[in-house]
Amino acid sequence: MFPRPSRDIGFPLIGSTVLFVVFVSGALIYQALLGGAAERLVTVMLIDAIVVLGIQIYIGNTGVLSFGHIGFGAIAGYVFAVFAIAPSEKMRRVPDAPFGLAEVDVPTSVALLLAVVLTVVIAFIVGIGLARSGAESGAVAATVITLALLFVTHEVATNWPELTGGERAGLFFKIGSALDSRLPIYIALFGALVLARLFAQSRSGRLAVAAREDNLAARAMGVNPLVQQMVALLMSVAVVSVGASLKVFEDGSLLPGNFFFNYALLTLVMLIVGGRNSVTGALVGVGVMTAGRELARRLGQDGFEIFGIPLDDAPLDWVFRENLQTVFLGLSMLGFMLWRPAGLLDDWELDRWIADRFRRGPDEQPDELGSVDPDPSVRLEAQGIDVTFGGFRALDGAGVTANAGEVVGLIGPNGAGKTTLVNVITGVVSADAGTVTLGGRDLTGAAPYDIARAGLVRTFQNLRLFGALTVRENVEVSAFVAASHRADRPLADVDELISAAGIWEFRDRRARELDYGNSRRLELARAAAMAPWFLLLDEPTSGMSGAESLTMVEQVRQMAGLIGAGVVVIDHDLNFITGICDRIYCLDQGRVIAEGTPDEVQADPLVQAAYLGTASPE
Amino acid sequence: MTELIQNLIDGLGRGSIYALLALGVAVIFGVMHLLNFAHGEMITVGGYTVYWMMQRDMSWWLAVPAIIIVSVLTSLAIERIAFSRVRGGSDFTLLLTSFGVHFVVFSIFLLYVSASVKTFDRPTWVANTYSVGSLNIEVFDTVVIVVTVLTLIATSLLLQRTMFGLALRAAAEDFEAARLMGVRSDSVIRGAFALSGLLAGIAGVFWLMRAGSTVPSAGIDPMLKGVLAALIGGLGSLRGAVIGGFALGLAEVLLRSRLPDSIANLTEGFVFLLIALLFIFRPQGLVTVAHAERV
Repeated sequence: MFPRPSRDIGFPLIGSTVLFVVFVSGALIYQALLGGAAERLVTVMLIDAIVVLGIQIYIGNTGVLSFGHIGFGAIAGYVFAVFAIAPSEKMRRVPDAPFGLAEVDVPTSVALLLAVVLTVVIAFIVGIGLARSGAESGAVAATVITLALLFVTHEVATNWPELTGGERAGLFFKIGSALDSRLPIYIALFGALVLARLFAQSRSGRLAVAAREDNLAARAMGVNPLVQQMVALLMSVAVVSVGASLKVFEDGSLLPGNFFFNYALLTLVMLIVGGRNSVTGALVGVGVMTAGRELARRLGQDGFEIFGIPLDDAPLDWVFRENLQTVFLGLSMLGFMLWRPAGLLDDWELDRWIADRFRRGPDEQPDELGSVDPDPSVRLEAQGIDVTFGGFRALDGAGVTANAGEVVGLIGPNGAGKTTLVNVITGVVSADAGTVTLGGRDLTGAAPYDIARAGLVRTFQNLRLFGALTVRENVEVSAFVAASHRADRPLADVDELISAAGIWEFRDRRARELDYGNSRRLELARAAAMAPWFLLLDEPTSGMSGAESLTMVEQVRQMAGLIGAGVVVIDHDLNFITGICDRIYCLDQGRVIAEGTPDEVQADPLVQAAYLGTASPE
Repeated sequence: MTELIQNLIDGLGRGSIYALLALGVAVIFGVMHLLNFAHGEMITVGGYTVYWMMQRDMSWWLAVPAIIIVSVLTSLAIERIAFSRVRGGSDFTLLLTSFGVHFVVFSIFLLYVSASVKTFDRPTWVANTYSVGSLNIEVFDTVVIVVTVLTLIATSLLLQRTMFGLALRAAAEDFEAARLMGVRSDSVIRGAFALSGLLAGIAGVFWLMRAGSTVPSAGIDPMLKGVLAALIGGLGSLRGAVIGGFALGLAEVLLRSRLPDSIANLTEGFVFLLIALLFIFRPQGLVTVAHAERV
């Protein structure tokens, strides 16, 4: 579950505790200074914080914008209210409630449990639709569905007065039965903080973030993003349900408008202002926006004075008006999106900062590199592959075969179909005809993540790293997947791979900060961490100088030896290809026109005509 | 049978407005990959324009062109002020920027007009009906359908027969490639926003004629219909958006008339259920768009 327990469990617990203490004591000091009037404001802020943390678990880890969490909040709120309100009150307000709910009498804690469980079940069903359309049409489609969910819950709540009391009457607790103490709120807030941080550090959270950073690359590393997104959704909905129930309890009443657009926008603004990718940020956002909104509300209502001069009169009258707080929210949202879309804190976390300060001494670079013998029974065979794009025939009966531990090159002019062939083998493009087998297992048409788990892992021509993750975290993503899906293979140590790729000194840098060559090396290490049978490398030296590409020959060899994998490599650099390959296939116009050792292929007249022009090389 | 035909006509009338809205959404999505949650703001602004004119006893004959012009200008202004700054941003940034725009427009009207509903007189002929056999047809529906069909034909000619249309379709297909081929991204994007504003303006005229009122949040409902219809049709497809609009209108009307009275006011919920089912079984929407992942 957690790759490095002290860093992934210990520090998040410490960090969450510190955050909780700071946030709550700040709120209590404010309350003590301002007295009774501030009490309600502080309570509301604490509850908002729970809801926002819940939303952060989904949005932060998956990168999918959701409005629907407040819709889920509405569902939880109604379930909670309908069960928690005393029968006497219900008989007065909603005597005709369906399923005899008006007479149901359960303790508040049971009502809370029911609210969480039922809402999570509904979230699971909605999540299937979200996942499917998200996979097909992108995150945008998922966002629209969440928005529709928000509107529909509101619509149903408004038009089902038998259950909800409708738009005007609503549901009420008996006066005086609102929360007596804040203890449940404190517990829920602390729990939400811990859960949010632990999830982000957990295996599931890390895989979700990998998919957030680059969905296709994550799938090519064996991650099924839909599973991770579903886990994040259910966790976050559970937290939101608790927050929503507390909100209903605290308000003492529930109207359809309580969980609608305004609340959705408020919680979203809080999240993005603080930094949606950070739990610390979510909490900061709640604090900043609560303070700002309160200030705007007061300015709008009362105006203000500086040094005894009232400023709400004539010249500024057009600003300090009622509803100023709505303008403040709107401008905050737009302003942050235009000028600082990552929010105040981006993805900074308090506990990671603490962990970096307290790290004992430098890690040791592993110096001895092991090696694994390839399993001779596993051959990669792709045969008779046809692919057409529109009217264009990209592959026409092409294929490639690689034996265990063998290094096979794919060469050919631009547009010959090399990348398309690798795309077909790794499941990114589906072929019209042909088969792909690995060690006798048929992988034709399988999903990219299944193919990766079976032992075919690729790199990409146009670098696809998980930019916000560190070098080490990038490699860890595939190491996680390997630990659960390729455990029968000897798995190389993450540090060993980073060291073998020659990027040890950058291990704690973010991937997006790396230069071109090191990015290529990181992609190689990340692919190797899957302990595949074969590495498929798409132009690993593109953009490198001659000297660099010669080092790359060594690194690819070393990496393949370390994990006992064969290699299929596409490249234009002839020095690189002839320096590394045992055999070469030459493609032209979607067909294999030659195959053999580097010398044989270079001497082939067809190859010379198609690829090298008529002059012979060197 | 008569009832079914009646419903179909009602549904086409309603669907026409959705189709115009969805087409406007799809045009912007094509050039910017932006799903414009501020698409309803053109109708909000249009609504307050009508309100202002009606207060001064101007006629609907003046209001109609005014709504359309204001809508186009609003669309262009929003592009200039907000969207031009986030071109090429992540989906997340684009979506929330458009929501921010909605939020700001909303709060401006809240602050400077009023939170309460502002009503204005609807044109007198809106409620008129005429009979064909046993059918009772609204004059309004007839006008809406005819104008929508004409608008769609004109838009289609614009897209198929003009340089602008070619540039727009090319940009929708592959924005970078279109740019490299010499399509000027600024003018295509501005043109797309103008076209989108124009379509929203025409839809807005009908929407406002029927509603007879406006509030600061008036844009949300038409926006939601337009965006949902575009999604139902298949994001990225202009034809899909139009089909999605008609499908949504028909589904609403048919459901409303077929559901038993006791749950008829939950129609929206059932429409959502249908849409959810559609996405589970056909996640790409009604019209499939070929969009290969670039690797």
